[in-house]
Amino acid sequence: MTADTGAAASAASRAAFRAGVLECLTLIPSYVPFGLVCGVAGVQAGLGEWGAVALAAFAFAGSSQAVLTQFLQGGAPLMIAVLSGLVVNLRMAVYSAAISSRIAGATRRERMLWAAFLVDQTFISNETRHQRGEHMDHPLAFYLGCAFTLWPWWVLMNAIGAFAGAKLPTSWQLEFTIPLSFVAMVVPLLKSRGQILAAMAGGVAGVLLYAMPLKTGLIAACVFGTCVGMLVDTMLAKRAMSSGATP
Amino acid sequence: MNWGSFGTVDGWLAIVGLAIGTFAIRYSFIGLLAGKKLPPRFDRALQLAVPAIFAALVVPLILLHAGEFNMQIRWPHIVAALVTGVYAWWRGGMLISLVIGMATLHGLLWCVS
Repeated sequence: MTADTGAAASAASRAAFRAGVLECLTLIPSYVPFGLVCGVAGVQAGLGEWGAVALAAFAFAGSSQAVLTQFLQGGAPLMIAVLSGLVVNLRMAVYSAAISSRIAGATRRERMLWAAFLVDQTFISNETRHQRGEHMDHPLAFYLGCAFTLWPWWVLMNAIGAFAGAKLPTSWQLEFTIPLSFVAMVVPLLKSRGQILAAMAGGVAGVLLYAMPLKTGLIAACVFGTCVGMLVDTMLAKRAMSSGATP
Repeated sequence: MNWGSFGTVDGWLAIVGLAIGTFAIRYSFIGLLAGKKLPPRFDRALQLAVPAIFAALVVPLILLHAGEFNMQIRWPHIVAALVTGVYAWWRGGMLISLVIGMATLHGLLWCVS
């Protein structure tokens, strides 16, 4: 590689990183209320202020942090508390599978970076970028731009919660920016009729199965929605075949 | 034993346990499927699993109040989410979608208060 193409590549990779930062800057408000709450909960569960910060930094997964600290505070055995937190994070296995098909040529070290920062927001931002076909030569740089925006911010919000015990007034409804941001990211990704039906079925099942323990309803709803989507896809393909149109 | 702002031994075991376990879940398929060609059927399933799981995550957050479906309390949230979804589908762009959604929510809440 000549110096010129090397410089061009690193400029492109810096541009991808900056795009990732910009993409995820808009998600920063949605981290504030839940981050503060998780920091407070960590201290209340007896992790200590620094323990609460470490939990946010090393787990980087709000709902599982909330479940873990809730169980610890309730006096549950350590193993049960940890396993419960992990069950909440099982949805990340779906993201892991989905992302693995996007990073075929990645090295082991790159794969570890992809895994380390895999949360709802970084995952769906990367899906959005992929659908738009942007920065296709530097997906990891974009992803790290996203991660290096959200991860420190998440840790900071937890730290403020832990050390200052700060909370936001609930009347601000800032926590509602979490579902809104997912809506804004996922709706443009719906391209096929199968995907729309999968989302509708998943949404209905998600509500009906909401009471299942430790968000296991999420996984069941995901499986149900996927099956509905596949059924619709198969039916549409069959109809297209029988009417003689090209699929 | 309690180390004050540094918590307890058990607390740190919990932190390390959740951190390592969560990384294992995140790395699971990324590591297992490294360099493997996926059957197209599996790939198609994933294209459907992503909208399904996000819908399952989001719809309860919009509809439910304290775990119960409560139209009387949640209708401003439902309208705000619909407005956000329609705008995002029409125009895209996270920041404006979010601002419009939150403005709708607070506008409706202000109207009924």
